[in-house]
Amino acid sequence: MIAVLGLIVGVVAGLLVRPEVPAVVEPYLPIAVVAALDAVFGGLRAMLDGIFDDKVFVVSFLSNVVVAALIVFLGDKLGVGAQLSTGVVVVLGIRIFSNAAAIRRHVFRA
Amino acid sequence: MSDAKELPGAQPVPAPPESRENRLRRELPPEVPGRAPEEPVGAAEEQQPELTGRQRLVQGLWPPRFTRNQLVVAVLLFGLGFGLAVQVASTSDSSSALRGARQEDLVRILDELDDRTQRLEDEKQGLEKQRQELENSSDQAEEARKQTLEKERQLGVLAGTVAAQGPGITMTIEDTKGTVQADMLLDAIQELRAAGAEAIQVNGVRVVASTYLTDSGKDVDVDGNKIEAPYRFKVIGKPQDLEPALNIPGGVVQTLEKEQATVSIERSDKIVVDALRAAKQPDYARSSSQ
Repeated sequence: MIAVLGLIVGVVAGLLVRPEVPAVVEPYLPIAVVAALDAVFGGLRAMLDGIFDDKVFVVSFLSNVVVAALIVFLGDKLGVGAQLSTGVVVVLGIRIFSNAAAIRRHVFRA
Repeated sequence: MSDAKELPGAQPVPAPPESRENRLRRELPPEVPGRAPEEPVGAAEEQQPELTGRQRLVQGLWPPRFTRNQLVVAVLLFGLGFGLAVQVASTSDSSSALRGARQEDLVRILDELDDRTQRLEDEKQGLEKQRQELENSSDQAEEARKQTLEKERQLGVLAGTVAAQGPGITMTIEDTKGTVQADMLLDAIQELRAAGAEAIQVNGVRVVASTYLTDSGKDVDVDGNKIEAPYRFKVIGKPQDLEPALNIPGGVVQTLEKEQATVSIERSDKIVVDALRAAKQPDYARSSSQ
């Protein structure tokens, strides 16, 4: 419950504050958000499986974000930023889908 | 639950009870030691698989518990929600179609815009040139039309199809004795033409190139129109030229006065020649220009 409240408060705060995204962070923010979403879905699935562990969740969340940003950064330096970020999004998307499928099986038994 | 609470409290002196239990376990049938750990864990696990999905979710959701798990996850999710909202907001800004674009895309877009600007600039120049040409040509056409109109007016004055006005003289020939004949009037007309008369009318008949005069008894026919004395000539031209031309010794005036006609000449700044004659379309002659 508190976690869901945290998410809602975050969205509302982001919409209300509307901070200027620093130019340095700008290319990485969307990828980082997708990576974080992946971690959240993984966490949700783990919770439904009954194997949720906050330490694992924190580490996977942060490392997902950092690695995703790092890949994009590296891609930009190598000149294949667009392709790499597409790849990252595809991989994370697949993971999100498989996690979502597992969650669905838990919640709807189907 | 009771087991978990007891364990930390029991830690300092775990040996005696354990040994007792161990002894008990060994002594007792194997059912007892199996039950003690199984009851809490087994009950939870038996319940959980049945509730698994929804119930666990509901359990996590409804009684809001300030556990460490919840707080940590809340903080991370706050970050996620914040980032998500910021990103969505910055992407859906009207001007930010280019904001999310990467450098090479921006360069490409800029190049395309440059190309397009160049093309449009070229097109604009071409169209402006065309416009100028059209304006010039329409100016020329207008000029030509004006000249044509002017020429038509001049020719109309000569051909007698339009009325004319301007400085000139009025010559009145009083012929009480009926001695004035067509050839004398023709002489007068010739003299006036030679002196630069531009438009002439006699008693309401326009005198043009094809005008003819014939005698008809006491009177004179001009182009078949009978006119009677006094003969009143309205002549447009330079008065200073016309009057002396008529008055020269042995000229028109003297000849007429010899025939006992009286001639009076008046200069005027405004003579109106308003007798008209219909333009005659030539049957055979065609303009050879164009």
